Amino acid sequence: MIRNVKKTFKNKTAVDNFSMELNSGDCVGLIGPNGAGKSTLIKMISDIINPDTGEILLNGKKISSMKKEIGYLPQYPNFFHWMTAKETLMFMGKLSGLQRSELTSSIPNILKKVGLSGEEDSKVGTFSGGMKQRLGIAQTLLHKPSLIIMDEPVSALDPIGRREVLNLIQEIKKETTILLSTHILGDAQEICERFIVIKNGLKIEDTSITELLQRNSDNKLSIEITERDQKWIGIIKELPYVKDVEVIGNKVKVKVENLETNKNLLLGHALKHDVDIVKFEVGNDTLEEIFLKLVVEK
Amino acid sequence: MRSFIVLMNKEFIQMVRDFKIVWLPLVFILLGITQPVMTYYLPTILEALGSGQGITIDPSMTAQQGGEILAGTLGAQFDQLGIMIIAISLMGIIQTDKANGMLAFILTRPVAVRSYVGGKIASNYFFTGFSIAIGYFASYLYVNFLFSNVPVPDMLTALLFYLVWVLFIVSFTTMISTLINSPGLIALISIAFLIGCRVIVGLSSMIDIVNPASMSKHAMEVLITGSVNPNAIGNLAVTFLCVALAIFVTNYWISNKKFSNE
Repeated sequence: MIRNVKKTFKNKTAVDNFSMELNSGDCVGLIGPNGAGKSTLIKMISDIINPDTGEILLNGKKISSMKKEIGYLPQYPNFFHWMTAKETLMFMGKLSGLQRSELTSSIPNILKKVGLSGEEDSKVGTFSGGMKQRLGIAQTLLHKPSLIIMDEPVSALDPIGRREVLNLIQEIKKETTILLSTHILGDAQEICERFIVIKNGLKIEDTSITELLQRNSDNKLSIEITERDQKWIGIIKELPYVKDVEVIGNKVKVKVENLETNKNLLLGHALKHDVDIVKFEVGNDTLEEIFLKLVVEK
Repeated sequence: MRSFIVLMNKEFIQMVRDFKIVWLPLVFILLGITQPVMTYYLPTILEALGSGQGITIDPSMTAQQGGEILAGTLGAQFDQLGIMIIAISLMGIIQTDKANGMLAFILTRPVAVRSYVGGKIASNYFFTGFSIAIGYFASYLYVNFLFSNVPVPDMLTALLFYLVWVLFIVSFTTMISTLINSPGLIALISIAFLIGCRVIVGLSSMIDIVNPASMSKHAMEVLITGSVNPNAIGNLAVTFLCVALAIFVTNYWISNKKFSNE
């Protein structure tokens, strides 16, 4: 739970009066454009920097006294390049207060889970970005925390690495609460049920994905046609059930009165006029479009 | 306490992996034997190189007492090149962790800042002190071989005094490494300040009392005269106070998260 948190750096307010609450088992995506204050917020939650005002509580206790319950994955997990994967986990695990015997039995399992078994004795310095990220995730899982915080877990990875890490997060979100920040919406859409949109340090949206999509669905049909049928667009503008037409290149977005009944009418109309249809779909705005609207307009 | 030991172990493993465990003692052994060997062979070298005309070699030079030569090792070798080497080898002690984010990362774990700082200083002091002691013993062996014998109790007392000065060197460099972000600047400030301290020793008895570098002077005095200066106890207390202050500043700075200024 975060209450009225504010942080200012040299007259620049990074996070302003931000409040939010996480329930156990949630998977929350913190999204926002670059410089919105995501990392600052994440760093305050993981107790790397102190907020100027406000407080951050976990299960009703100050976050600084609850570090054992938190797993943190930095944006660029660096580790010590001279340590092997196993030593890194041993080191971080011991710092989290685990016993050596516990660790020797749990480390092989965790490495297997993140797909790094066979690499336990390789130096971290030789790891690729994706491998480091997975090792970072392994490190957050070691002490079985109740909250896992990840700062841009996939932003710096190539498509393969991203896939690996996303699958892994899918896997672990069944077991704990996850808060992750990202500016890649597709990723957030894939793994999180809930979104918090942040811009200029202010929370501008806190909602679930289905709600967000529903709210922004307003009976739109998306039709893609070829060049020669452009004049058909002029004709449909006159139709009684067509409320609005939006043209983007060869794509036409048609807003209709009632999606159910009107969509076949429009399709029939198009066929009658011998329109060369490339694509015809019931199209809502994608998350990206909604996001842009939210962030740019407000 | 447990994380203190874990962090200290990590430092030792790192020293082994970086081969610091080999080169630092080796450097101090070389420094240590330089003084006696150079002093012993200087007349021979000068004779062989030059014609010897116009150069008068003071016969008392080769007739120096062993204690004086060993004191020379501390004062001329360790306190100059030695300080530079220590400062450079320690300049990244905290700075590297700050720069690559490991400091912040480690502190997201339930680790007390004092365990972190304590682990750093204890391990690095132990190792630096060990290297210096090795170099000092090497020097001692050569002195005994080439010059007169130095009494063992004097030799050990002097070493103890000197190691207190080294403790200050280590904790001061650690403090600077915490406060400043550029490694070059850290080395420069540490070297300038520490050598500065050493140079002003003996200028005024007032400054000497609060100057941690006086420990080095006391060490040399023990070797040369064979007795401990009565001021040494007061100096010792002040030096420990300076060490405590440096550690406190380091601890305060990290605890208040002043290291991350993004």
